Parts: sequence; C-alpha cells; structure tokens
Amino acid sequence: MIEILNSGWYTSIQDQGRMGMQEYGIPYSGAMDMNSFNWANKLLNNPLNAALLEMTIKGPKLKFHIETIIVFTGAQMDIKHNGNKASLYSPILIKKNDVLECGACKEGCRTYMSVLGGLQTERILSSRSQCDHITKSGHINKNTILQIKKKSFELNKGVTLKSPLPSYITKEIEVFKGPEFDLLESVTQLKIVTQTFTISHLNNRMAYQLEEKIIHKLPEMWTTAVLPGTVQLTPSGTLIVLMRDAQVTGGYPRILQLSNHALNILAQKSTRNVLHFKLKSFE
Amino acid sequence: MSQGKSFLRIFQYSETSILLELKAEPKLDLLNELVVFKNLLYSNLSGIKQITLSYKSLLLQFSNPLKKYKNLKEEILKLYSSFDSSKSTIKSKHWNIPVCYESKYAPDLSILSEHLKLSHHQLIKLHTKPIYQIYFIGFLPGFLYLEGLDAKLYYPRKKSPKLKVSKGAVGIGGRQSGIYPNQSPGGWNIIGTSPTSMFDPNLKQPCFAKSGDTLSFYSISETTFKKIRKNRIPPNFREIIL
Repeated sequence: MIEILNSGWYTSIQDQGRMGMQEYGIPYSGAMDMNSFNWANKLLNNPLNAALLEMTIKGPKLKFHIETIIVFTGAQMDIKHNGNKASLYSPILIKKNDVLECGACKEGCRTYMSVLGGLQTERILSSRSQCDHITKSGHINKNTILQIKKKSFELNKGVTLKSPLPSYITKEIEVFKGPEFDLLESVTQLKIVTQTFTISHLNNRMAYQLEEKIIHKLPEMWTTAVLPGTVQLTPSGTLIVLMRDAQVTGGYPRILQLSNHALNILAQKSTRNVLHFKLKSFE
Repeated sequence: MSQGKSFLRIFQYSETSILLELKAEPKLDLLNELVVFKNLLYSNLSGIKQITLSYKSLLLQFSNPLKKYKNLKEEILKLYSSFDSSKSTIKSKHWNIPVCYESKYAPDLSILSEHLKLSHHQLIKLHTKPIYQIYFIGFLPGFLYLEGLDAKLYYPRKKSPKLKVSKGAVGIGGRQSGIYPNQSPGGWNIIGTSPTSMFDPNLKQPCFAKSGDTLSFYSISETTFKKIRKNRIPPNFREIIL
C-alpha cells in the first residue's frame, strides 16, 4: 500500500472515467490530460483503464509499504526519491519504506503517477475516478491509504522516453463550431477565433473560465446536453470551457467544442496562461 | 410517417458525437418522440456508446471517431422519417414520491404561502395534484428535470443562492419544481423534504427514474418521513405505456 504523508495542492485518483452513466446526471470524470494518462499506463504495460494519481500544481509526499514500479508523466516536476532526483517518463523501482517527495509542476499543471497494475481503490459505477457526490471524497487526503497490487516481475531495464513537453507550450486550442456558433453575428465569430484569451483563477476539474468578455445577443435556451470541451457563452459574455468533471447538461449557448487533443492541452494550462482558438472543421 | 413531425437538425458535435435537435417547443409528445427515437437508434445504429436526452435533443456518442459522418447522417434521417412514436409500446413508470411539508422540513413554505396568497394547505394541494413529466437527469447526479408545475405556484429563485440546501429538499425555482438529490448549494425555495433517496452511487442503477417516466408527490407526516428514511424504503410505482 501507499501512505499519503502530505496530499499536495490537489491530488485525485483518476482512470478513464464514467462514460455511459450520463443519463443519471453523472459527470464523465477521468484524467484531465488523457494523453499523459495513457503514457503513464503504457510505460508500465498496465491495463488501459488502470487508475493512477493526478497531481495538480504541487504533488504529494508518499511513503510506499510495498515494492512496486512507478512512472511519472505530464507536467515537469521536481521529484525526490529517497532524497535523490528522479525523472519523468522513466520507470522507477520502488522498495519497501521508500519515500517520494513531489514538488511543483513546471510548464504545465498536471503530473501523473502510475503504479504497476494500477491503484486498487474503491470502484464506484465502474470507475475509480474520484468525484464529489459520487465517491466518498473528490480528492486524496493526508493519511489516505492507497492499496496496490504486489509486484510480480523484476524490472530489467528502464525505458526513458523523450518528454512530450513542447505540445503543452502551444497557445493554440483547436476547436470546432458549437451548435449555437452560427447564431452569433459574424464580427463576434471573427473576434472569438482571432483574439487572445486569458485563463481566469476560476479553473478546476469542472470548468475553466476565461477573462475576456464577448458581448453578444444570443437568446436564452432550454437546458441541453454538453460535453467536456464544450465552450459555453454566458449572458454576461464570459466564456466557460467545460472540463472532465462538468455537469452533463447546461443552459448556456454552446459556441465551440474543443478537439480531444485540445482538451488535453488545456488541462495543462492554468491561471493567467493565454490561448487562442483555432477553428477547424470535421473532415 | 406520422403527421406533424418536427424538423430534425443533425449536427456533428465532437470527433465522436452527433447532436440531433428537433425544432419544436418542448412538450409531452415531443418527449415521447425523443424517447422512442432514442430506443430506435440504439437498436439500429452500430457503435453507439450512449445517447443522452434533453428537452428537445439527443446526443449520440460513439466509441470511435466518426469516419463516415455523411452516411451516418443519411441513416439517421431515414430512421427518423420512417418511425411513428404513436405506435410505441415502450413501458415507463409512474413514481409516487413522499414529501413532508411540515415547517421543520419546509423552510420557505411560509414565504411562498404569503407571497402567492395561498394557505399552506392550498399550496400543498396544488403541488401534489399534477402528474410531472420526467424529462432527463442533469445539473447534479440524480436531479430530475420535471415539467408540470401548476402555474399558480410559479415563484422566482432566491436572489442569492443558499450555500447549503439539504438532501431531499423539494423546491420551486421559476416554473420548475425539483428534488435536491444531495446536500448542495441552491437557489430554489424549499417547500418540503422527501425521505426518498434520489441517488445512490452504490447501486448499479444509481437513480430509479429515467427520461419518459412520470412522477407525483404525496404529503406525509414527520413520523412517516423518519420511517421511510431510516428503512430506506424505495418509492411506489406503476407501469405506464408511453
């Protein structure tokens, strides 16, 4: 098992989430940056949906009570393994009583730590992803105990991958037209896809608000379906990008939809980071 | 083809999803049409992972990125023009939901009673009389979007939402009435509390109701409230045909 000595800024257990449960009003959840999530599991030859830790802004301090192998992916981070520097994208052999101290995220804001075989924490509605109202807690806490599987093989040779960091640095967020985009006046449409937006401090696993306002005359609408990556435009002109833990319905016009790739990139951005939307069409 | 079928807009929403939107005002026959069409799509289109329903649309999500969107669009249009929702034999359920309207469980009942110029008794009678249509679940896990509130009970939301509305609280917000499945912030005026569990993540089907079902409220005493909550008694229902 893994003991949490310090939970970091915001650390939660995530897998691919609860796709298929939305008719009950259950959020999708799952790792914010699916690309880094997939790499973390691939590097350990884990099942695709193995649960891992998603660390936000600053990572936790952990003590291992069992031998295992772990891998870090996502945003760069200073990691101390028993006081020695450890790298991302390379398997780390863990011995009993090892202590891992995770620092602050750099050039991104979410770092992932996968464990051989995946975390064996509670599974609710076919997912281990933590989410308020669904699991007991929305995140891990000090003294949380994470059960893991016994290590079943020896690590022969570590594989290191070149970190895919440059993709996070891009300011370009690829989007498709949302169902209500064509209701906007063409000058407003043009403004949205050409101007630069700043991420407000109101950003979390549910949604990211953007600071710059877009004045519009869109009418009110009936509550309707939304997805992670849907960009809503509120009556006061605020753009809200829905993220993985968003509600499954919403009443604001849906002006844009992020591509899967863009959603993963945005998940690595945080307060005061800037971005611009690049409009694409489906092939 | 049935008469008066609404115009169907088909829109690719994401790499893996398609939005079907009907140009019509939400009302009962539209909901039935959506429920029946949803079932038809599930059984006729391959690769569908999930279809979610809202007031006048269906969101179709597929397992893989859509490669043949045009073909899919034609197939959907063909299915839409050939189906007849009036011939449906889909079974739905009508749920009887107990509500305790006693003052301890109804913090805003007196305010509403005063402003709407209705006695507590009249207010409760108007709230328990209609058959509410369950459109879909959203906002919070297990939160039912209900239509059917008596116009005499329309009452605006609070200007500033309360930080804590208790689990099971039954409220009125504008033209809607609903039940808070969990303790959460909320701006509706609370006129009662239901002991029925609206959402339990430990169950395979975490919410008993679904789109197309109906619901009505009935008044219970505090003693009954406590008994139902303590013994987690599920609500009564009867089967109905859409």
